[in-house]
Amino acid sequence: MSDQDIAIDVRRIVKTFDDGRTRALDGATFQVRRGEFVALTGPSGCGKSTLLHVIAALERPDEGEIFVNGEEITHKRDLSRYRARTIGLVFQLHNLLPTLTASENVQVPMYETGLSAGKRRQRAQELLELVDLGDKANKRPTELSGGERQRVAIARALSNDPPILLADEPTGNLDSKAGLRVLEVLREVQRTHGATLLLVTHDPTIAAAADRIVRMLDGRIDTAETSPALGGTAPVAVDADP
Amino acid sequence: MPFVLLILRNLLRQKIRTSLTVLGMSIGITAVVALGIITESALSATGELFTAGGSDFAIGRAGSSDLTLSVLTEDDLADVEAYDDIEHVTPVLMAFARVGSNPFFAQLGIHPADLDYFDAPLVEGRHLEEGATREVMLGDQAASDLGAEIGETVIMRREPDEAFTVVGIYNSGTTYLDGGALLSLDDLRELENTPDLYSLFFVRVQPGVAVQTFADQIEADHTALATLVEIDDIGEVDQGLEIMNAINLGITILAVFIGGIAVMNTMVMAVFERTREFGILRAVGWRTRRILQMVLGESLVLCLIASVLGSLVAVALTRLIVTLPTVRAFITPEYPLEVFLRGFAIGLTVALLGALYPAYRAASFSPAQAIRYE
Repeated sequence: MSDQDIAIDVRRIVKTFDDGRTRALDGATFQVRRGEFVALTGPSGCGKSTLLHVIAALERPDEGEIFVNGEEITHKRDLSRYRARTIGLVFQLHNLLPTLTASENVQVPMYETGLSAGKRRQRAQELLELVDLGDKANKRPTELSGGERQRVAIARALSNDPPILLADEPTGNLDSKAGLRVLEVLREVQRTHGATLLLVTHDPTIAAAADRIVRMLDGRIDTAETSPALGGTAPVAVDADP
Repeated sequence: MPFVLLILRNLLRQKIRTSLTVLGMSIGITAVVALGIITESALSATGELFTAGGSDFAIGRAGSSDLTLSVLTEDDLADVEAYDDIEHVTPVLMAFARVGSNPFFAQLGIHPADLDYFDAPLVEGRHLEEGATREVMLGDQAASDLGAEIGETVIMRREPDEAFTVVGIYNSGTTYLDGGALLSLDDLRELENTPDLYSLFFVRVQPGVAVQTFADQIEADHTALATLVEIDDIGEVDQGLEIMNAINLGITILAVFIGGIAVMNTMVMAVFERTREFGILRAVGWRTRRILQMVLGESLVLCLIASVLGSLVAVALTRLIVTLPTVRAFITPEYPLEVFLRGFAIGLTVALLGALYPAYRAASFSPAQAIRYE
């Protein structure tokens, strides 16, 4: 696999909390190809959400390096542009702003792009239609169901057309039907946008939809295998010794 | 949605808190602007006095603490009259006394003969007569406040034997004089028990004489005299307005301090309540600068609304205040732009001072920690 093919390259990442007493990531190393859909799984507390946060540049690692589309991000001073343009984030809780409508929530990341108010509104409408919520543009989060809120969050993640989507348990708070619908939307936008999708989940059904499943244990990558749906089990990348 | 609408939407989340903050701030702005209007109007009214009766400038005793305490003598008058450039000097005695319900009724003692040179056009009646006693000419505002007409008597002090007959009503266009009265110099000296003394000289210069240059020459020749040409000269003969300016400054500082704390309290609460939200905004790519802009913008809008509201209330309040005869005799309200600009500048200062720390806090939240915040 050449460097050109790699979207996310995580190298020996260490992240501790509580003044080093809690070691959430302990030398995690793995790669994600461009356009690939990878499910990051593992038991609670294994560090998968922390790893996603580090890749999303919400946290800085203590050690190690992360390259995203060839750009090293762990030592960059200002990561706002990276967060605004390179990645789209979907959280377990939708994290929509309660006072804004669905359309306004989708427009929030676009303030950093210099688009006019009219263009922002137009793009938000297109994205809401993409997630099948075109008729709910003026609804506030409290007027939407859990699944609908999560789809608005997906539309928001896509607002600046990022090449990489990061989703942290996006179906964790939804019933199975709504969860599958959200997964379907994520899979669809990943395909239509040609985006790379890294999705954290503990749900095997959701993980099974991925191109590849990466399992974590105790802050490290345990195994990485192609999804059973694609018929393979060969590891693609596993942790090197820290 | 434009960014500014997002700011407004944030302020409308907590309507009561926003309203109370605006109210608190606007009270401070009202105090500052209303005092500014009153001070400027009082200054302007005093400035009018320097050129009262169509004179070019006035002369008082340098270093007096109040115009009524300016003491000039016959020798001073002789010194001034000695200048060839002078057309006429009208020496007057000035006093304030309770008349009717007005405790600061302005009284100007003048030689009746000088009324030919002192421009106070009659609305009714006649001038004071040379040699007559206990006659008074009332300003039209004073006549209206006292309900006095020609031929009636007005008590110029507290004793009944200090009743003066109204012989004329004039309109000079000078607030102090129109809210007060002109008496003969001898009568006022008797009431004031100050024989041979004057308060001010009103000077008319010969045509073509440069007023300021001439006034400067008099001051240079006679250092004990203060020439009053512009309102800025008031400090040489009256400290009262300087005291008002000092009070104004004190209230301004208090308004900034109290307003700053009120705004900071509101903004700190708003920021901490929205910690998680700031984390989300950072997570979706907002720069710290935009977070700062949003928080400072919210504070700025708060203070802008308070400044507008405070200024409107100040105008309404001063209009109400000048309906009081006591105040009307001194002040014709003026609304100079600089007073309102000062109010807005205070609003702006408070907005920035009050929001600086909360904005810094909001911008420095770690996105991951902020998102986890409950």
